[in-house]
Amino acid sequence: MRYAFFPGCSMKSTAHEFEMSTLAVARSLGIELEEIPDWTCCGSTPAHATDALLAASLPARNLAIAESLGLDVVTCCAACYSRLAAANLAISQDARLRAEVADAIGTEYSGGVRVLHFLQVLNESTGIDELRDSVVAGLGGLKVACYYGCLLTRPRELSIVNVSNGADPEDPQVMEKILTAAGAEPIEWSYKTECCGASFSITRTDTVKRLSGDILRMAKASGAKCVAVACPLCHTNLDLRQADIESATGEKIGLPVFFFTQLLGRALGIPDSELGIGKLMTDPYRVLSSK
Amino acid sequence: MSKPVVIEGLDGSLLAKLDPEGKLRVAACLQCGRCSSGCTMRTETDILPHQINRMVLFGLEDQLLTSKAIWTCVSCQTCVARCPMKVDTPALIDNLRAMAHAVPAETRRIRIFNEAMLGSMRRFGRVYEFGMMAIYKLRSRDFFSDLLKFPTMLRKGKMKLVPPAGKGRAAVARIFDRTQKRANR
Repeated sequence: MRYAFFPGCSMKSTAHEFEMSTLAVARSLGIELEEIPDWTCCGSTPAHATDALLAASLPARNLAIAESLGLDVVTCCAACYSRLAAANLAISQDARLRAEVADAIGTEYSGGVRVLHFLQVLNESTGIDELRDSVVAGLGGLKVACYYGCLLTRPRELSIVNVSNGADPEDPQVMEKILTAAGAEPIEWSYKTECCGASFSITRTDTVKRLSGDILRMAKASGAKCVAVACPLCHTNLDLRQADIESATGEKIGLPVFFFTQLLGRALGIPDSELGIGKLMTDPYRVLSSK
Repeated sequence: MSKPVVIEGLDGSLLAKLDPEGKLRVAACLQCGRCSSGCTMRTETDILPHQINRMVLFGLEDQLLTSKAIWTCVSCQTCVARCPMKVDTPALIDNLRAMAHAVPAETRRIRIFNEAMLGSMRRFGRVYEFGMMAIYKLRSRDFFSDLLKFPTMLRKGKMKLVPPAGKGRAAVARIFDRTQKRANR
């Protein structure tokens, strides 16, 4: 299995451990991720809040490069996934937009490259059975709250949940299946697709403390000992902001927040140093045995 | 057959500007309120999603363009995901933001942040977090919040002092130039 890998800006900075652990897991499972040469930013929220053509063109430049490589695109950032997939959909449905994008990026792009989140690759290409067979150090029934946030599951047209098969986009299960195969025990809870507040972390910090605080408290009240995420911004808000959330209410939460690839990587026997476990803010060894 | 209700003074030109081809399905809104009951920002906004839809149909341009609501929307997509009529309110709000000039003081920082991030993309082809945050802090005059986090983030390699170096930056600058030219047309 070989894919064009779109890391996205956060993977090189705030969520570097997500990139490290994704690449380590992929290596371990024989998934080849070839970084898109000279990839550039997907545009994120500021682009779509500013101009629809800009929001389609910034991803399209990267997708056109992947098309020339003849590979499907894989990303592990939920926001990048959303922007790349949204651009694909818009470009493939609108001939005029397609022409305008071609003018902006200087090459034709049809919207035909498949865009996948790494969760989908593990679930569909590797498969849960093979994952289970690859586990060498099961997670020992670790109670984990799988948290998806917004952009992996909404809107329906871009959801990683297979809605055409009748699956419920408000109750995704793919991360649960993967981490169950890794020996964890995902809990049932009701906040898995609530919004953490995203980039309001900087501009409306109180909003994020409220929204992310509700998510963490609900996870804990539902019996979770830690949270697993698949989005760099969700991670920042739940992990880096957790101390702020605690001091705002005076209530200790103390939930380690992992990228799902870090937990999976542990189960695959990958050393913590290759998974960036040491970069986490909330002490991960509350729930992990040190090694 | 009953006579159609005609409301005097309604102006369809705002809808025509925001959704010329009807792709966002604004007119299909039933006012059921499912969007607003699930809106992440419902307790902090001044106009709820179903109200935005209707105000667009009514042509209430000034009220919409000076509202907090178009900036407090966090783009979580919950409203459109749950809409029985598939009205794309988040895209409608994006188009309203593109038209807005005056931003209410309380939401000014959101636009400053967006502009700082776009500036970073344009200059480096990728987001340079450290530089973007410096510009955001200067422009928003929010100098001190989170400052204590920077040393830890630098130490853990979660933020880099050096800007990203990619060969794609010229291509991105071209995309910004071309799309801006078209938007100004």
